Amino acid sequence: MITERLSSDYVEMRFGPRWTYISCVRRFVASFFMIGLSDKERAEQISMAASELLENAVKYASEEEGYLKISIAKADNEVDVCVKNKAEPHHINTLRRELALIQAGQPEAVYLKKMEEAAMTEGQSRLGLIRILFEAGARLRLDVVDGEVSIHAIFKLEAA
Amino acid sequence: MSSERVFVSLKVDTLSIVPRLDGDILRVAMSGAVEMRDPGDALNPYWTHIDEEALRRNLKTVELDVTDLNFMNSSGILTLVRWITRCKSHSNGYRLVLLYDRNVTWQRASIPTLAKLAPNVVVSAEIDG
Repeated sequence: MITERLSSDYVEMRFGPRWTYISCVRRFVASFFMIGLSDKERAEQISMAASELLENAVKYASEEEGYLKISIAKADNEVDVCVKNKAEPHHINTLRRELALIQAGQPEAVYLKKMEEAAMTEGQSRLGLIRILFEAGARLRLDVVDGEVSIHAIFKLEAA
Repeated sequence: MSSERVFVSLKVDTLSIVPRLDGDILRVAMSGAVEMRDPGDALNPYWTHIDEEALRRNLKTVELDVTDLNFMNSSGILTLVRWITRCKSHSNGYRLVLLYDRNVTWQRASIPTLAKLAPNVVVSAEIDG
């Protein structure tokens, strides 16, 4: 049940963690916010963030459950892209450490350092969050309640 | 097989890559999107092959044109980071030019940052597409 007040620029989608949905959602989010914000750059940044957060959710979701929630809070001149999913405790701990690390430094320097580290190791890139922070200029916030992870990418909008 | 055919095209899902030898410059054009779950499976060996052939032929420049690439996920970006890391390790290799469209948000944000990984061998060049 949706209990919060919804604006006309509110969209919420729920779907199973299937990779093939991600590009479809990314294109939809870009089109939606292109219309809602009349700002192509912001719309593309928001859709990139949605895509990266969804990729993480699909990779690390612990159950056959995961959904994307996007809300726009015009009162605060913000767009909040939120992806929520159940995750294993060790993945949650990794995410907490990751977030603390990338928020501790100067974004570009952290991004370059993480790129260099990622190139030296096998496996996942782990560049998604720092990319959102540095390339899209979003704030990141992590909430964990009963093993359910909500990760937010929050975009400040230009005042009207 | 002619020598030019060593540089083969690649088509994976929505991504297409077409290399073209132009004198001592290799122009590699990407189009579509890099949005696969594990783009490194196809792209890492492909970039390695391009790198090795460029060295073997003593090419001066490899130009990677991403202007027709509408999206690249962070796993795709990592494949370019790996390629750039290889470039950086060559003592007398080629120059890698990353050609991007400044009107495409992800390209304008990602490509100049990638070039900063190896400013002596990688340059970004923008077009107003």
